[in-house]
Amino acid sequence: MRTLRSALALLLLTALFAISADTAFTADTKKELKQAAKKAAILEKKKAAEAKKPDPIKRPDIKADDLAKVKPLTPAFLGTKGDTATVAKFVDSQVSAKLATAKLTASPLCDDSEFLRRVYLDLAGVIPTASQARTFLDSKEPAKRAKLIDDLLASPNYAKHQADLWSNLLIRKNSDNRKVDFTSFTKWLEKEFAANRPWNEMVNEMITASGEQEKAPAVGFFLSNNGVDKMADEVGKVFLGQSIQCAQCHNHPFTDYQQTEYWALANFFVKTTAGGLNTNKGQTPGVQEVNNLKRNKKNELPESYKDVPAKFLRAEAPKMTSTEPYRPVLAKWLTSSTNPFLAKAMVNRVWSQLFGVGIVNPVDDMRADNEPSHPELLEKLAADFAANKFDLKHLHRSICNSDAYQRSSKKVSGNADAEELLFARATMKVLTPEQLFDSIALATGFSTNEGKGGKAAGGKGPGQNARTQFVTFFLSGTEMSNTTEYEPGIPQALRLMNSKPISSGRAVQSLSKADSAKAIEELYLGTLSRRPTNTELSKMQSFLKNGTTAEAYGDILWVLVNCSEFTMIR
Amino acid sequence: MFSQALQDRTRREVLQLSAAGVFTASLSGWMPLLAKAPAKGNRTKSCILLWMDGGPTHKDTWDLKPNSKGAGEFKPIKTSAPGIEISEHLPKIAGLMNHGVIVRGMSTPEGAHGRAKYYAHTGYREGQGGITYPSMGSFVARENGRVDASVPNYVAIGGRSYGSGVLGPKYQPLMVQDAGKGVEDLKAIVSQGQFDRRMSLLQEMEQAFGKEYNAETILDHKTTYERAVKLMQSPEAKAFDLSQEKSETRSKYGSGKFGEGVLMARRLVEVGVPFVEVQLGGWDTHQDNFARVKSHSQQVDAAMSSLITDLKERGLLDTTLILWMGEFGRTPNINTRGPKPGRDHYPKAWSVAMFGGGIKGGQLVGATDKEGAEVIDRKTSVQDLLGTVCEVLGIDYAKKYETSTGRPITIVEKANPFTKTIM
Repeated sequence: MRTLRSALALLLLTALFAISADTAFTADTKKELKQAAKKAAILEKKKAAEAKKPDPIKRPDIKADDLAKVKPLTPAFLGTKGDTATVAKFVDSQVSAKLATAKLTASPLCDDSEFLRRVYLDLAGVIPTASQARTFLDSKEPAKRAKLIDDLLASPNYAKHQADLWSNLLIRKNSDNRKVDFTSFTKWLEKEFAANRPWNEMVNEMITASGEQEKAPAVGFFLSNNGVDKMADEVGKVFLGQSIQCAQCHNHPFTDYQQTEYWALANFFVKTTAGGLNTNKGQTPGVQEVNNLKRNKKNELPESYKDVPAKFLRAEAPKMTSTEPYRPVLAKWLTSSTNPFLAKAMVNRVWSQLFGVGIVNPVDDMRADNEPSHPELLEKLAADFAANKFDLKHLHRSICNSDAYQRSSKKVSGNADAEELLFARATMKVLTPEQLFDSIALATGFSTNEGKGGKAAGGKGPGQNARTQFVTFFLSGTEMSNTTEYEPGIPQALRLMNSKPISSGRAVQSLSKADSAKAIEELYLGTLSRRPTNTELSKMQSFLKNGTTAEAYGDILWVLVNCSEFTMIR
Repeated sequence: MFSQALQDRTRREVLQLSAAGVFTASLSGWMPLLAKAPAKGNRTKSCILLWMDGGPTHKDTWDLKPNSKGAGEFKPIKTSAPGIEISEHLPKIAGLMNHGVIVRGMSTPEGAHGRAKYYAHTGYREGQGGITYPSMGSFVARENGRVDASVPNYVAIGGRSYGSGVLGPKYQPLMVQDAGKGVEDLKAIVSQGQFDRRMSLLQEMEQAFGKEYNAETILDHKTTYERAVKLMQSPEAKAFDLSQEKSETRSKYGSGKFGEGVLMARRLVEVGVPFVEVQLGGWDTHQDNFARVKSHSQQVDAAMSSLITDLKERGLLDTTLILWMGEFGRTPNINTRGPKPGRDHYPKAWSVAMFGGGIKGGQLVGATDKEGAEVIDRKTSVQDLLGTVCEVLGIDYAKKYETSTGRPITIVEKANPFTKTIM
């Protein structure tokens, strides 16, 4: 074919030379011929370039049926059911083993004040009050850390924090759903996390929910991702830890996910539709799965993949009739305790939330050639999680009780220069905008409401609108904050320095200033969750000689809220 | 604060030095210093990127094809550049075409918004190299910005930013969401003396914490705060205050957010900011293409023509490159799927426009076929374009940066610029 084209081009060019010498042809014809020759030459060049390009990925000739299948998970308790201690020990033995191989020294365990602030923020999403901090630090109970973990897991703030984290992952605001209010979905998440509903059951509900938003709030997930392709993307990424979204338009450039697999997964959602999205007109958003749903932009499979049968990812294609609902079939495979992806993806994600770094990174790209740093750890933790019926609090409890989690973030000579940390020390994390808002509200409000912390629970405090506005402002365009990088910019720093609630000094009005040492201690405990060192105390006391007493205390609080230590988890 | 030599070290080295107390003395210099006035004489060039978000149609703006299948509703009009015709809804710009160049041969592989926007801003494909590459604003800020500038060298107005990636927080843009409101919280609400006392105490705390934990995030936090304080104290910060402009000027640029943003961009370039990005969104016209493009064109016409004229008046046009671009073009054919005709994504052939910066105006670079569907002359990649932008701005696009990951990156790779044609 190529040679024919070259011959044609050559012919045209030859003819052109012949023509230009012949004045019998009109100028227009000459022009047309010239353009045709030019076009042929361009096409020729294009074909040659295409032929030269190497196929970047050696993909075997895979038919849809033969695609490499992934091994199912075998659920297995690490100890007995709910055996936190054994799981924690297992985590430590696995981490220590890798450290030994890599010849890295682990940093020592963090001290009580480091632990206190870290575990409060990681599990409750907010710093402790000064009173809560004092209680923990002064307690002489030998098992006080384990008890604090238990208390936090049982607190309402745990559920609120999980709901915050998962709302960010599950809700995608876009032009399609911009009029939908997702509060009912967030509240549903909070309720389920508080009741410690098994994770696989929550996922099942999010995938199969039908009905109006207020009655079936889990439909919020589909309302967020209205479309077969969006659902395939998000189910893949968020629940299975598989970034298949690139395979939508072409075979995945970096892995071997094929377009057929992508659309085979998307196919489970072809009968699902969202409606009532225009709430301005008084509509109620809802989701239904119906047979014979008319083809529209949202459920349309591309022409070449129209007849691809629905198929589980890297597993079999289930037999489904055209009249049965498809989503429950997918959900059954996806949420089974033997599903190869679900447990691992969740374990990895929870691990990365607590440590700042996952066992696989990025957390939603757990493909075959993206190796886990600790494969056996991931495998067995996932098996234990599945055996424990996807009990999220058990997972949190186990990890937080490990030495690995409780390590200091301070560098020691045996790990200071490590390229890959392998959890030799804790990674310093940056507060999410939600954590920052709630912690500032608590610190500057001097809330005596110990149980509820700064979260707007129905007590006094900044309203939900202020919180949402602050969070949006701090995200400044990104979808989710990065906890291992300090990303806020100048406008955010200006807000923290100069906005009235933090800057005005109003917050210290209720502080008892009779005893300066006590007052300074109160300020430190209520912000940094620790007592000042002797050096800090004398520095602060001499600072008090500036300006008026009220002003000076206000300045100290301002400094404590604006410093790195406040905005980070050390 | 940092000498130019230290500027180029990796952040890890900086941290090691910091831990060793090298910067202790100079850290006490957080107290505000008045920004040095720009050196007289050769002014480095600035760039104003007018970012048309959503993929602006080329056939209804810069590359009309009245005899094509999907010609559309607009008529082409003559411009002050012989042989160049553009949309009838850009009449003022048409009158200034002799200062501008239209690149009609853009052709790129990315047709999905997110990926295409990243590609257009950085010159690299999303996910490539496993790192986030810096946006053109960041590398222009680094190359052409003054180290001691009080206003950040990269300002992004209205819309999200494609930030500095591996270049770090120093080159992140200052985001201004609403030009009409300026930069909020720019003034302290306590007295200068009290503010200075607070900053001094804060700095002492930071030093101790940084020494004990020695983490990168701490340094980034300090950098951000330092920049914020610097901005608060600078006279240049007045550039953000549009109330200082006459009302005739403000209406000349157009009353919408885009017009205000472009006016602010002019003020920022006047005080020496090397890169300002102003976004106009809503170009993703799958539906109702013509009504929407007409209204957007009117905004562009008012703001862009005012910008060109004002810069010329102030003797700044030759040192300010204005780049009008989006992430791709739109289909040569019109879709009639919905009630109002539209055009869909089309990266195979599209247009960008460049004004000022010392370029020889009144020219076309590249051409498309009769339908506006294929590039038949001078196919231009994003790298070619960014390479050209660099050369116009006096930047060596082949320069490499060390990054904190240890892996070097090139500003623009594989560029075949068309600078010679236009300078």
